[in-house]
Amino acid sequence: MIKRIFDWLKQPLGLIAVGIAVLALFSLAAYGIYTTQQPPEQPIQFPHQTHVAFGIQCLYCHPGAAKGPAAGIPSQAKCWGCHNQIAKTQTSLLLAPLKDAVTSGTPIEWVPVAQVPDFVQFNHRAHIAAGKNCEDCHGDMSKVTIAQNPQVFNMGWCLNCHVETAGQDHEKLVKLSDCGTCHY
Amino acid sequence: MSEQFSRRDFLKLAGVGAATTAILTGCGPASRYVKREPYMQMPEYNYNGQSTYYATTCRECAAGCGLVVRTSQGRAIKTEGNANHPLNLGKTCARGQATLQGLYNPDRVTNPMKRASRGADSTQAMDWEAAIQAVADALKNNKPEEIAFLMGMAPDHLFDLVTDLAKATGMNAPVRFGALGMFDARATLSKAAENLFGQASLPFFDVGGAQVVFSFGANFLETWLSPVSYTRGFAGLREAQTKQRGKFVQFESRMSMTGGKADEWLPLRPGTEALVALAIGRLAAEILGGSMPRVFASVDPKDAATKSGIKLETLEHLAEMFASSNGALAIPGGAALGQSNGLAVAEAVLALNALSGNFGKPGGVYLSALAPNQTEYNRPASAREMQALVQNMFDGKIKVLFVHGVNPLFELPASLEFGGASKYVSQIISFASFPDETAREADFIFPDHHGLESWGYQRVATGSAQPVLSGAQPVVSPYYNTRATADVLIAAAQLAGGSFAAALPFKDEVEFLQSKIASLMSEADGSISGPDIATFMAYFQQHGGYWKLTDGRGAPSAEDMLNRTIAAEEAEFAGEGEFFFVPFVSPTLAEAGANKPWLQELADPTTTVMWNTWVEMNSETAHELGIENDDMVKIVSEAGELEAPVYVYPAIRPDTIAMPFGQGHTAFGRYAEGRGVNPADLLGSHFNEAGDLAFAGMKVKVTKTGEKKLLSRLESVMGVYGIGLGEEK
Repeated sequence: MIKRIFDWLKQPLGLIAVGIAVLALFSLAAYGIYTTQQPPEQPIQFPHQTHVAFGIQCLYCHPGAAKGPAAGIPSQAKCWGCHNQIAKTQTSLLLAPLKDAVTSGTPIEWVPVAQVPDFVQFNHRAHIAAGKNCEDCHGDMSKVTIAQNPQVFNMGWCLNCHVETAGQDHEKLVKLSDCGTCHY
Repeated sequence: MSEQFSRRDFLKLAGVGAATTAILTGCGPASRYVKREPYMQMPEYNYNGQSTYYATTCRECAAGCGLVVRTSQGRAIKTEGNANHPLNLGKTCARGQATLQGLYNPDRVTNPMKRASRGADSTQAMDWEAAIQAVADALKNNKPEEIAFLMGMAPDHLFDLVTDLAKATGMNAPVRFGALGMFDARATLSKAAENLFGQASLPFFDVGGAQVVFSFGANFLETWLSPVSYTRGFAGLREAQTKQRGKFVQFESRMSMTGGKADEWLPLRPGTEALVALAIGRLAAEILGGSMPRVFASVDPKDAATKSGIKLETLEHLAEMFASSNGALAIPGGAALGQSNGLAVAEAVLALNALSGNFGKPGGVYLSALAPNQTEYNRPASAREMQALVQNMFDGKIKVLFVHGVNPLFELPASLEFGGASKYVSQIISFASFPDETAREADFIFPDHHGLESWGYQRVATGSAQPVLSGAQPVVSPYYNTRATADVLIAAAQLAGGSFAAALPFKDEVEFLQSKIASLMSEADGSISGPDIATFMAYFQQHGGYWKLTDGRGAPSAEDMLNRTIAAEEAEFAGEGEFFFVPFVSPTLAEAGANKPWLQELADPTTTVMWNTWVEMNSETAHELGIENDDMVKIVSEAGELEAPVYVYPAIRPDTIAMPFGQGHTAFGRYAEGRGVNPADLLGSHFNEAGDLAFAGMKVKVTKTGEKKLLSRLESVMGVYGIGLGEEK
């Protein structure tokens, strides 16, 4: 039975059909990749640039970056610490979801923007300790509302920086390019 | 595979399909679309992305194993054993692992509620103020002696609270019951200890230190008493690096998972355990020489061999093994005690230990250590004591019944008629976390927190050399609008006023706990100590409890034990029929695991059946009766009848059938409901001398119904038995 299918595929019409199928698959896959690269919908259109413009440090809201693996999304208690003293919070349409969440005691469901796959053990702390700044990877937050990724967080990109950082120090290079550094 | 479509073709097509799927799904990081709920208010000691670990106590059974629960962002995500806990030393059983599925169970009772009428589905949500008022009214508007509490075997702190309340107000003392206690035959063990050692206690059998272990029905690797601790002991028995590998012999009519691990498995005729134990004792005493102990003198080994179906040579060989070992241990338990002569079995088997002279010695029998704040062993109610409670309910002596931590409508045999008696009780208030059978027949449900959301403590009744008070603390905030039953009772007692308020002068549950453990603060030999109660409580939470650093086990006095006489009669069996009926607790589900899919999916260790109830029947018997795997049979006992599919099992006596207990729920949530049958429906109200139910003392009739119901099981019928396997054409 399968032989008959292959025979049919080998004639010109069959080859065209195979071509169309391959093209369709390829387009679907390309579309799939495209959709995953779009910034997802957030519950609040959070303006990073406004907060940076007020002079708030990244680590004020994301202190985990200096302490552990995840930078963390701030708790709404932290948001409210400032916002309950800001008159605009009571009236602003943009801030209504925050007000609702705090008064009703429901958590806000944020969509993380910068993510690496589960098989990568990324730790912020080591990077901050090595003197990296947040914007080196996450871009200039004074220019964006919702965070955007200035680059794809893939392994080549990670390794480029690791190799550059190691420079001529061979021992460091071994450590920084070892598989087990990130995949364990 | 058919002629048109060969196996090779199938593999080719499957390959193409798999490649396509990989291309379509593998390209983009689909995991990008996740949502994260950050803390609304993050505790200061938490770091984002780092787990926080809390020590607490497992509440899936009453053994009291210590847990360390990993939490992330306020969610419990993994339970493991507490490595420092003397009982389980970092280990858990499957049920301990699955406790998370109780916490996250979609069928939890999320609000206090009033039921329109008993058994009805429609309920009316209440607020907690009204709920507490309802409890206060129930306490206040009835005479104290008309109020009864029925509680599970865990947690102990709530039992203590209700006991205090009962003592101060004249209420009935709380009755504790659990199906595990019934199938363990705890009352029988305790009674035997009282008769022989002069002290009611749960004996502790040091399997780990023994050289030869004879177990008469004790399923100690499954659910018996403290399975994690006994499993560790068993590992010690088998360890062969530093000593000789210990031997293990199991006597039972149906091979349990424990029996499956034995070097020798002896399917004796049910009811002849006492005879066999005494016969082995007699033969061993003859080998050892000296005068024949009186306890063994009257038994005739030949007669025992005939009656039990074990050959005399085998008995002689076992006696030789027992006598020649310098560390022989005999354990009575499970179905061997759940018979009309269960007490005699327990005494006969303990007498074997007297012969071995192992009392209070490593590898021998001890009296279990009492927990640090305990003065005597509190045994859960036997089935006969439950019958007395049911009778009081029938007689209208009980107007209000509070139920916590137990599901009598499922766990008690139907023949005890708890359901019928509950109609004579004007108000039933359940504190169940899950909508179980009893909660369905209750007027109110005031849900307690799940164990992982709860404060408390549990006394380790047996299994540890050290006295242990295992501590529990919430590892997560309660997810639903539930409230700790201790808090509800404290608040209701305050509202009720009078002696009720005076009995529980506490702000909340935590203050009550502190009052109970405060005396341990400065005791010598404690694992922790503290200058004040706040510090001590913090250590208590951090370490998962308090234990003594010294061995607290007692040595039983063995005087005169060999000079007694034990009636070596066979057990009597109730009902008519050709088969002995042996119900056993499902090693994976036990009495309350059926609502957790992990446990349902976990294959039964001996049969690999999942998600259902089966009837084990010997292959030869099944062949004679024309029964095959998955054929439905009807089982009729004097108390009731059931239908279930057969699992043809070579490791069971031809005259015996067996059924697991744990399924057959008519309520208890979507995973448990309408699945399998409950063998407790077949059990009649017959008791042994100690008051335990003679659950293994029934005879039943079996008839084939002609229907088939396929059991899902891990072992494939095709792969194991070669059924349906053909050559490829």
